[in-house]
Amino acid sequence: MSRVTFDSLRWRDPPARATVTVDGGPPRVRLQMTTPREVAAMCVGRPVEELPRILSILSPAHHLCAAKALDRLFGIDPPPAAKNTREALRLALVFRHHLRKFHFLASSVESPFAEFWPEGARRGPHGLRPLLEDVMRHVSLAQEAAAILGGRADHPVTAVAGGVTRALKQEHHVRLAEIAVACRTFAERLGAYLRDRIFSLGEILGDVREIDAGPVSSLALAPDADSVVLRDGRGAEVERFASAALFDKVGLAQESWSHVPFAVLEAKGSQGQGAAPAEGLFFVGPLARLNGGEPLATPLAESERKRLVEALGPFPRFEVVAGYWALLIELLSAAEGLVALCEVEKLTGPALRTIPKAPGREGHAAIESPQGLIYQHFRADERGVVEEVRVLDTATANNALFGIVAQRAVETSLAREQGWDETKKRMELALLAY
Amino acid sequence: MNRGDRQKKKLAVYTATGCRACEQGILDLNYEVNELGRFADPVFWPYVLGTPWEALPGDVDVALFAGAIRTAADREAALSLREKSQLLVAVGACAAFGGLPGLANLADSAAPAEAAPTMDAPDDGKPAVPALEPEAMCLSQVVPVDYFVPGCPPTQNLLWAAVLALVCRGESPSRLSYAAARLPEPIAEAIASGVLPPRGTIFAGEKAVCGSCSRVKEEKKFGTCKRPYEAYQETGRCLLEQGLVCQGVATQEGCGGLCTGVGVPCRGCFGKAPAIFDPGAKMVAAISSTFDSAKAEEIAGLVDGFVDLAGTLYRYSVPAQCSLLAAPAATPDQGCDRCRG
Repeated sequence: MSRVTFDSLRWRDPPARATVTVDGGPPRVRLQMTTPREVAAMCVGRPVEELPRILSILSPAHHLCAAKALDRLFGIDPPPAAKNTREALRLALVFRHHLRKFHFLASSVESPFAEFWPEGARRGPHGLRPLLEDVMRHVSLAQEAAAILGGRADHPVTAVAGGVTRALKQEHHVRLAEIAVACRTFAERLGAYLRDRIFSLGEILGDVREIDAGPVSSLALAPDADSVVLRDGRGAEVERFASAALFDKVGLAQESWSHVPFAVLEAKGSQGQGAAPAEGLFFVGPLARLNGGEPLATPLAESERKRLVEALGPFPRFEVVAGYWALLIELLSAAEGLVALCEVEKLTGPALRTIPKAPGREGHAAIESPQGLIYQHFRADERGVVEEVRVLDTATANNALFGIVAQRAVETSLAREQGWDETKKRMELALLAY
Repeated sequence: MNRGDRQKKKLAVYTATGCRACEQGILDLNYEVNELGRFADPVFWPYVLGTPWEALPGDVDVALFAGAIRTAADREAALSLREKSQLLVAVGACAAFGGLPGLANLADSAAPAEAAPTMDAPDDGKPAVPALEPEAMCLSQVVPVDYFVPGCPPTQNLLWAAVLALVCRGESPSRLSYAAARLPEPIAEAIASGVLPPRGTIFAGEKAVCGSCSRVKEEKKFGTCKRPYEAYQETGRCLLEQGLVCQGVATQEGCGGLCTGVGVPCRGCFGKAPAIFDPGAKMVAAISSTFDSAKAEEIAGLVDGFVDLAGTLYRYSVPAQCSLLAAPAATPDQGCDRCRG
């Protein structure tokens, strides 16, 4: 029996490593998140209103999710301007997250810190190095927008029970509108490059783009209600349930070799972490959101979605190239959403916070984070001190899917008799898409 | 000297237990990060370059370490980077003081553990998982640390200035002057004169956050205890004076009053201010000395309003700065099994 460990894999959050075991038969891959996320231990005993700041350690979107859960816990409805501000922050985070993935994709061919790039990577208006610089510039713009809206881009602070704390100034409105338009323009330009060079010709990705994780069930928030839609591997809606029931439908299976549990559909149960998708497996994320095949509300994103269908076929899709294409569609959608929201009248109002009268006992919320559906449930005592916290984060929700993707990347790599270095790179590029 | 002839400083970047925000902070330095390769050679950066541990060279110039020490793998990483690096820098509140992961140290140990791996020995081809340390620790409790760049996450100006100051020392006047302009005076003076600041220097301000907070301070009287979900003035008056527990008075400045500026109380992610022994004790003293009453029952009523003082006053610093719980700092003779082996 031989065993190879890839430690660490690039671009994984939380950090992860993969162990490949070959014992005569097909390879067996186990992807491990190597750091614990002790959410309950951090949160229990804290004042419930502090959770948006504490849970932001999972990702900035958890800050927004926790604030929404507090709205429900306190039984209050935030003013429209506060809701818009939170949504604008969410969109800025989506834009930054997805664009950063394209930065990683573009920098995968060469160290982003290399002083001298190959001549071919520099040449022409669409040379990789200028593209990388352009991507980073717009990552920083999205980050600036997030910092205006959230106080900080990472670990934001402004979303609180009942609304937001920050009233934007005139110069903030002007800057946000500038950033939103710049992001939309850049997303269109990047889209043309990705379509022409990467999605169709397979530059950078190569045959990694054909690695397919499916068919797998998916979970996504319904667009018009506080409910969650479960779709099967063919994209058909199996069930629609209130987000409050999420932990009735989703269970967590713990494996002895992982710090992060594996989310499974309770109805199907856990069949362990095999080499192929089990019945109880599901995933969340940009592709899961698109797999319903429903038209999008914004024109550029909808055009891009149609291009994907034209090129790859109808949803649901599960292959790596569809994952990257979904990121592009959402990049456009987020930029368009930001342009629409970043208007003075939408982000201002007579009040930015609805003041609660007394602490409540229970709150929950689900939102679509950049990485996928996330859910939080709090229970507090009569003083508003946290007694119980349950969180579904995307590392847990997609833990099993990541294992499948890693498995398939190794299988295809070994079938092509590629070396371990190449295998690791294929695995990283494949995982980055989901 | 020709740029091609110049020996670039070897840089290592690593995150233990925490989030990726500090590493992202380095990556998100916009135009500057594209400059990094011009004066530094990032020889070890698992998150961005996928560098394996075997490729960590023995002569790293500057290692930036983010995240708390929570697993055996974190400890090994800290020991290994200490042994092989000339300068080890704790970046972010987790590495500097234990950060949010350190809050888990306050958890009731009798409570049932949340879904935890069983730490089985590897079998059936299954890999082992890094075992948990008894408690979360900050970096300096495992190995000696040269410098600290606090914050959750560190502000970008400060982070980039610290990187420039430590990596470009003695080599690039323009970059050093950029850094010096953004650093506190004593550090800037040392950097500008070509020497490193004293070991243990914190790359942050010289006073407390209140010194750079833009809010209006009127009269220090604590007459009511408010929770942040209650009504208060998000702009304008000092939050502490309004009855909110805001730790600006006990926290080292350097953030520019970022949180208080957007209407939320400071929670001390830059660690305790200079000359303060214990930030929690300082806050208790600061608040209790301004109670707007001399009547025992009124004071008792005020005190009853405080909730979770330990989790609030040591939000980012339980392992390192809570004098009742903190473990001692590491001594220089602690070595690394990986390096010895």
